[in-house]
Amino acid sequence: MYEFALAGLLPYTGPLPRAIVLTLWLSTLSILLSVAVGVLGALCRTSTSLVLRWIGGAYVEVLRNIPLLVVIYLIFFGLAQVGLRVDGFNSALIALTLNAGAYMTEIFRGGLIAIPRGQYEAARSQGMTAFQLYRYVVFPQVFRIIYAPLGNLMIGIVIGSSLASVIGVEEVTTWMRRAGDETFRYMESFLAVGVIYVVLAQTINIGRIVTGRWLLSRAPIGHRR
Amino acid sequence: MSTDPASPVLRIEGLVKRYGPHLVIDGVDLDVTAGQVVVFVGPSGTGKSTLLRCVNGLEDIQGGRILFEGQPVLSRSSAIHAVRRRIGMIFQSFNLYPHLTALQNVTLAPVKVLGEPSKEVEERARGLFRKVRLEHRAHAFPSQLSGGEQQRVAIARALAMNPHLLMFDEPTSALDPETVGDVLAVMEDLAREGRTMLVVTHEIGFARHVGDRMIFMDGGKIVEDRPPEEMIANPENPRTRQFLGSILHH
Repeated sequence: MYEFALAGLLPYTGPLPRAIVLTLWLSTLSILLSVAVGVLGALCRTSTSLVLRWIGGAYVEVLRNIPLLVVIYLIFFGLAQVGLRVDGFNSALIALTLNAGAYMTEIFRGGLIAIPRGQYEAARSQGMTAFQLYRYVVFPQVFRIIYAPLGNLMIGIVIGSSLASVIGVEEVTTWMRRAGDETFRYMESFLAVGVIYVVLAQTINIGRIVTGRWLLSRAPIGHRR
Repeated sequence: MSTDPASPVLRIEGLVKRYGPHLVIDGVDLDVTAGQVVVFVGPSGTGKSTLLRCVNGLEDIQGGRILFEGQPVLSRSSAIHAVRRRIGMIFQSFNLYPHLTALQNVTLAPVKVLGEPSKEVEERARGLFRKVRLEHRAHAFPSQLSGGEQQRVAIARALAMNPHLLMFDEPTSALDPETVGDVLAVMEDLAREGRTMLVVTHEIGFARHVGDRMIFMDGGKIVEDRPPEEMIANPENPRTRQFLGSILHH
């Protein structure tokens, strides 16, 4: 007769903090890098250059339509086969970034096309360079628009990072498998890790909210305390 | 840079602007000297707004040339930024930056584009808010302002760059009738200060009282270019007569 006993996992909690840190680290890096990819991708997709639009579009369509798991395999095993060895953590990081970057591109593109033409014209008419225009006029407004959809995607990245377990990255899901295998307390380990992911995803989400509030409350010029 | 007072601030020679096969400006020549207030009138779609947009390079041109303070205006050259910094533009739809307060709208470009110290700019901006009669609204966001207030902030924003030329592209067309007067009053003050201004408008009263020159455009061409009083009293061209007749006596 099965009996639920969370305590059965206790002997295996030693590596758990490290695993949690690794999941957080992998997720945070993927988020930051995929935001950078998304900004660049969106600028390409909204560019006046046909070539850049095409490159941006091809990137999004290809990466959005390949399962993350396959991308991870491609980078870890596929590249190794042609002589390019990337370790587990970096393979997962690259795969997550490429995958999330495609979605980020679409989110940022949506934000960019929501900015009326008049905003660009006003900024240009004041002599702003392209950099100044995006930095002071366009992106602060884009940020407000994409702020909410960004939350969904960030949580998706945290959850997606669990796939790094298939290539031996010692993160939370790997810990779950091992703890389950060694104690046969599978139910307990699955549930425990489920709860851990909820907490991690929400930690990142709260990070987004706090950072967002701070950015929004900050006066862009003058009055800076 | 010292400029010969006799040389025009703006010189346009044989300007041609096309959108694809559609000819919008068809060979316009124009000299504007310092302190002139030039009012453009004419039916919609005759290239008045496009003409202004060519002057600061928001539109590229297909023929002729534009000289602003002696320098060619080339929309794709990196020198265009320097030209635009000296030309203030006011749009029909205001185009204030919605994420910034009225004051920040005014101070942004002088600080970030011209690199002026923010303290000085802020001081100057406060003076400009007095000039456009909006001291009490400096910390409001654009969404909290009426159309007329937004347009006056837009004027302050343009003035903050200390421009040598102001261009108004139908500045009152999107306004409620009761706020039009506030905006026109501010524009009249600017004209009295001796500002060089290009104004596209349907406000014939403003043209008559404030304009030094009135230009009637039709079909992408300048049809008549005369002092407003004269043109309104006695239009030479039949198209001008027809147009003025239709907007004066409706």
